[in-house]
Amino acid sequence: MQKSFDLKVLVKRVKDLRLASPQAQAPETSEKNRAAKTVKVTLPGHADTSKMSLPGLDLSAPVETVVSPTVYELKEQTEWRFEVTFGNTVEVRLLSGTAELFGTELPIQQTYTFTGTKAAIYTWHGCRIEVVGDCQVDYIAEETPMMIYANLHFALENLRDTAYSEGRDGPRVLIVGPENAGKTTLVKIITAYATKVGRQPVVVNLDTKEGLLSIPGTLSATTFTSVMDVEKGWGSSPTNGPSQVPVKLPLVYYMGLSNPEEKALIYKPVVTRLALSVMNRLQDDGEAKETGVIIDTPGIISQGKGGYEMIQHIVSEFSVSAVVVLGSERLYSDMLRRFNGQTTGAGEIIAVVKVDKSGGCVDRDEAYLQQFRQSQIREYFFGDANTTLSPHTQQIDFNQLTIYKLAEPIDDLLKSLMPGDVTEESTSAIFDKVRPSAQMQNVILTIVNAHPEDTQENIRDASVMGFIYIADVDEKKNKLKVLAPVGGRLPNKAIIWGSWPEGISDLM
Amino acid sequence: MSVGLPSDEVAEDYKNSLEDLTINSRYEISNLTVIAKENTEHAMAISRVLENHIKSTPPDRKLPALYVLDSVVKNVGTPYTLFLGRNLYTIFMNAYSLVNNQVRRKLDEMLKTWKEPVPGSLDPRPVFPAETIRPIENALIKARTAAVQAQQQQQSRAQQEMINRGRPMATPNPQWRSTPTPPQARGPYYPPPQQTYGLQNVPNGNYQARPQYPQTTNYPPPQPTPTNHQQPFSQPQAYPPYQQPPNHSDPIHQDVEKLINAARAEFSSNVNDDSLRIRLQALLALQGALKSQTLTPQEFQAARNEVARLFAEVYGASGPAASAPPRTLVPSPYVPPPQIPPQQRPAQIPTPQKPDIQSLLSSRNLADIIAKAQQAPATPPISQATYPPAQPASQNSTTSSLSANLGDMLASLKAKGILSGASTTPLNGSHGYSPPPSTTKTPPIMSGGFPRPALINDIEVTSISLKRPRIHLVSNLYEARPNQCSTCGRRFLATAEGKEKKARHLDWHFRTNQRLADSAKRGQNRSWYVDELEWIQSRDNPEDAPLADASSDAARAALAASLAAADPKKKHIPVPSDPVLANQPCPICQEKFDMVWNDEVQDFVWMDAMKIGSRVYHASCHSEVKKEGGTTPLRMSTPDSVLGKRKAVGDYNAGNAKAIKA
Repeated sequence: MQKSFDLKVLVKRVKDLRLASPQAQAPETSEKNRAAKTVKVTLPGHADTSKMSLPGLDLSAPVETVVSPTVYELKEQTEWRFEVTFGNTVEVRLLSGTAELFGTELPIQQTYTFTGTKAAIYTWHGCRIEVVGDCQVDYIAEETPMMIYANLHFALENLRDTAYSEGRDGPRVLIVGPENAGKTTLVKIITAYATKVGRQPVVVNLDTKEGLLSIPGTLSATTFTSVMDVEKGWGSSPTNGPSQVPVKLPLVYYMGLSNPEEKALIYKPVVTRLALSVMNRLQDDGEAKETGVIIDTPGIISQGKGGYEMIQHIVSEFSVSAVVVLGSERLYSDMLRRFNGQTTGAGEIIAVVKVDKSGGCVDRDEAYLQQFRQSQIREYFFGDANTTLSPHTQQIDFNQLTIYKLAEPIDDLLKSLMPGDVTEESTSAIFDKVRPSAQMQNVILTIVNAHPEDTQENIRDASVMGFIYIADVDEKKNKLKVLAPVGGRLPNKAIIWGSWPEGISDLM
Repeated sequence: MSVGLPSDEVAEDYKNSLEDLTINSRYEISNLTVIAKENTEHAMAISRVLENHIKSTPPDRKLPALYVLDSVVKNVGTPYTLFLGRNLYTIFMNAYSLVNNQVRRKLDEMLKTWKEPVPGSLDPRPVFPAETIRPIENALIKARTAAVQAQQQQQSRAQQEMINRGRPMATPNPQWRSTPTPPQARGPYYPPPQQTYGLQNVPNGNYQARPQYPQTTNYPPPQPTPTNHQQPFSQPQAYPPYQQPPNHSDPIHQDVEKLINAARAEFSSNVNDDSLRIRLQALLALQGALKSQTLTPQEFQAARNEVARLFAEVYGASGPAASAPPRTLVPSPYVPPPQIPPQQRPAQIPTPQKPDIQSLLSSRNLADIIAKAQQAPATPPISQATYPPAQPASQNSTTSSLSANLGDMLASLKAKGILSGASTTPLNGSHGYSPPPSTTKTPPIMSGGFPRPALINDIEVTSISLKRPRIHLVSNLYEARPNQCSTCGRRFLATAEGKEKKARHLDWHFRTNQRLADSAKRGQNRSWYVDELEWIQSRDNPEDAPLADASSDAARAALAASLAAADPKKKHIPVPSDPVLANQPCPICQEKFDMVWNDEVQDFVWMDAMKIGSRVYHASCHSEVKKEGGTTPLRMSTPDSVLGKRKAVGDYNAGNAKAIKA
């Protein structure tokens, strides 16, 4: 039994050694040789257990193991689409040619490890990639809308140059489209291309379903100057240590709801606040001003009346100059009707364009999305396979925390019982101040940059400092066991308890 | 990490391995620790399996299983401490109740080490937090009290017990006292702790009733953990016989020889350290160059100075370090040798390497080399053994050892039109595929980075314009930037500016890799997000910032000093390497210092700190004490000053918030 486990460790080590061997460097090595190659290794414990040895480094007695990676040959302008479940890993390596994952180029011979990913590797020039591990789904697609996406980038480059010569802000681009149309992917691609040619876009995420450099339930803005993380999608927010891929610095706000329409009362002002910060940044930061803003939105606001109002709100707050509609004719015509010919505050004409949805877009089921959300939360506290973070647990008294719970939306029954002229805004408070209770077990709380006794509006509009996880509630002793990313005393700030993202029971 | 292994499978394997663990076997425990360490992403599953195993295994096997737990939490740390800490009480008490007294003693000792920091670690926190350990201790004390009382009632030899109490009992295995886990075959070794176990945690009343567990003994210092670094796989022996006596009388040869030997020795004891490997490689390359006598006198002199400096560094000589020439970080402008037309020269290849020899050991070139080395992450330096460095005629050897530099040189030659586009050496990016004929057959793209007129970008933001394919524009993303980083794929222009940027970028990778190696020793954690004002004012260019020479410690210290002078709030010092000093609080407010990463000086620092004499103070505490008229900073100040300091921080944040609202 011991042996069988060691064998796996060994296979991995042997693979590492093999990948590093001089032959593996030469792209000319034929696949046949490669696949058929057998590697001789030893099992530790086979020979002499008393000898201290690392598994895999003692290469004396032979045991045969066959390692067989798959090599795919991609023609130019095709892509390899793949899905990897959570808990599985797949390693991908570019052998020759050029390849990019959502716009971010893969260097030759670097190995990338994917888990819980649905993505595609595209090549403009043709390439060969080597894949180790089991993909849930994988195939090569010849028809992709990448040419259109690249054209969008070059069109934006034109706008940027013009804006620069005229001393205006770079284009503010809003991406809208239904769920699972590839909005975030398109944002990634045009962000990566802009970064690649030395621009510095500000990327704004208004989709509370998934976080950008943060956990779900947040809105955020980040400037991108350096390459994105191929394995993790965007990258990582700062830690107190180094990182292989340059960290990105996000500005984060908290929504606490999955569907922004549920509570426009919160979503709209927070969007306004975020837009204000972004506009300030543009005025302060020459490079960001030149490049402009790219805005990702939740799919749900592209589905009807209430949502269109949100879009209108976003367009006016961010002074959007181009609306890109992804994969929906109807939405395109609705957007045209609403915005065509309109001008922004600065007098630019708002452009509305339509781009195709990629055939590679897959519907992500609720189970996958939930795992994805949990992995984002886990990553916030514990880091990923490359960087292990050490969050801190501590016991604190109930009265050390000032917690504001997002007020429940008033349901229709209750509304019908109220006098006719009472609107949502006049009745409901934004938050209820609550005392910790057993219900709080396993929830994520958000610390915001606001004084505990500040007004509810200020607490709502304050940017996020970080998140804590309630591991345990002891109602008898009035104690909480809290997991915080940073050690030391929790800052004396207001704390928000939202209903999103949902609690996570097995975080630790 | 093991490819394609889902958590369940890892857990199952781990379980099976655990079941094979029947005796206290050093080898198996260390092996299990290594597996746990390599599978931290499955930490939860492994912890669960380990926990269940400890619960279900027969009493005589509980001790080895607990040793596995102990070894894992000490050598791997988080996340295992979190997962295992959750049910530690049940795990420990369950085991404790079932084993015999001898094993119990060992468990007691293990428990004690959990209250201390991991010996030898920079992390001052205990292995498990106090609130995890305390319930176990309390329960044990209670149980003992009860047991002793029962004993006293039943036995008439109570008197005898009283006499025996306090006398040290012979323990079967004294060297394990403070390190219950058998020494590891690998991984971070924690030297055995030297502390003596005091009584501070045992309430007096209870202590009286604990005849069986003499706590007053000063345990003999444990023997040094027998380490076993000497792997059967020994790197240096793989080299061809370099040690042939140098045939030149110049001392530089001996110095280089010595440096190489020192580097090898260091490297063989620390095989995983990339920086050591690279240093060794660089030294060997230098030796090769020296022996081949291809250096001009100036270069030779430069190399000699560099070696002298390194020599002083390694052997601790004090004088030459100051007089050694400063490291050249600015790439020396290369003037291609005009006298010989390169096309006619078969031996052109070694030539471009020459100007770089002088800075061969400087960090910029190390960065180049590391970038090259990263293409083959696990290649041990043996791979170099295939070429004999002492032969000047062997072009292959020089080409491969310096190919990173060479690539740059070729690129610059190309840019200057000296080399034709049909070079033999594949350049980054244009590697292995032939670019689409429509755009890239023309060399001008390579040389200028300026798009030719044919590449005019006429796309408008309209749906129709976006649909028309314009494949030629894609070359803006690729061929226009031929200078690619082989680590992260980032591309740079082929211009001088692009080169400089790339050099800085590679420098950044190099520093990051160094820091990654360092950071494994200290715990990392996510930082709080920045607030609005800080974000608006932030500029993120961690790599391209011209950190003039942040790699040299002197410059770093100078930078820190100049920054500190600017603003007392921002005063900071690098975290002291002396562990005693590192654990001392500020003598004024008695609070510990916060360690933060500082991007500007590229090191961990204590903010708001200053060193006076041999002690470190909070800069704000110190200035306040001074202001109050106290001439000696050692005077304790009133608690007001502490509050004052906090308040200042609060005000600062409040000020930010106001500024943004205005």
